[in-house]
Amino acid sequence: MIEKDNRPVNLNLLTISLPIIGLSSILHRISGLAVFFSFPLVVWLLSVSLKSEESFLVLSNLYQTSVVIKILTYLILVGFSYHLLAGIKKLISDAFGFGETLESGRLLSWLVFGATFVLAILFLFYLF
Amino acid sequence: MSAAVIPVEQIKTITMSIYRYDPTVDKKPYMQDVVVEIPTDKDIMVLDALHLAKQQEPSLSYRRSCREGVCGSDGMNINGKNGLACVTPLSEVLKRDKITLRPMPGLPVVRDLIVDMKQFFDQLEKVKPYLITKSDSPDIERKQTPEDREELDGLYECILCGCCSTSCPSFWWNPDKFLGPAALLQSWRFIADSRDEATEERLDDLEDAFSLYRCHGIMNCVSVCPKGLNPTEAISNIRNKLLTREKA
Repeated sequence: MIEKDNRPVNLNLLTISLPIIGLSSILHRISGLAVFFSFPLVVWLLSVSLKSEESFLVLSNLYQTSVVIKILTYLILVGFSYHLLAGIKKLISDAFGFGETLESGRLLSWLVFGATFVLAILFLFYLF
Repeated sequence: MSAAVIPVEQIKTITMSIYRYDPTVDKKPYMQDVVVEIPTDKDIMVLDALHLAKQQEPSLSYRRSCREGVCGSDGMNINGKNGLACVTPLSEVLKRDKITLRPMPGLPVVRDLIVDMKQFFDQLEKVKPYLITKSDSPDIERKQTPEDREELDGLYECILCGCCSTSCPSFWWNPDKFLGPAALLQSWRFIADSRDEATEERLDDLEDAFSLYRCHGIMNCVSVCPKGLNPTEAISNIRNKLLTREKA
């Protein structure tokens, strides 16, 4: 029988520093999860909007009046944008080997954060 | 001759917050503040400060040997970032005269700053970190061109301190299945070696969902390596090799 290991492990994530490249990688996963779970909702909304003219108007009306739905749409858009850009960053690293040194990795991470920030501002103007 | 006395103005006090755990006494680990006096006319290393702390707290335990970044014994988590205490200048990590020291994350703590490195070395063993040859030995030695030898630069320098693997989230969650940056760097060191004759077998051993592919490019390993090595690049090289090889 294997004896249970009762020894402590230092794994308090709040005490461990996370460099920018690590942060962008973990946000990529979190945004991926969010996109995955919001996907059925978005597809359902699309199918409802395409059903008939009335259902489209109902949705459109709901969207115009409900701030909660607007915010939700905004968050999905920003999350999806980040996930898309971080994914392209990963493809660039895989295909060209760019972004595998500390300097280039940091540069790419900042570019992804910067581009997401710009998109987030644009969406803000577009939606509200 | 009297012992050298440091003038008072060349001393300052710092607080070292240190992770303490003695399995014979403590149920749970705790943080202990130790106040030590350090000289201000010169920079000392974190390890030197630990020695000063140990004078006050003789039960304080940590590994150390060469004290110059060669043996890889004193890897620890310094202010949240893994590094070797012996080559980390105190001035670089002191924040408002305070420093926090914890054992390397993810591995079981034996006592205070000492972790059990078994999982780490088990993974290293899996990549067979030695030259494998099948052809007959030449009379004198297996020769390599200077260019082939250059391929090993940035790989052979690893001292196996464990700073990279214990800063890697993929290794934290799967220390038994994901080989970790240190072992994978060594794996590439032998795949890249022109004298090694087991490249195909080495690649076969890595072709599963966990061993290699659990690396998600978080790059904490590159951020912390005290020798400035790049396991992420080595892992990427192995992946490219796996993709481009022609299977028999």
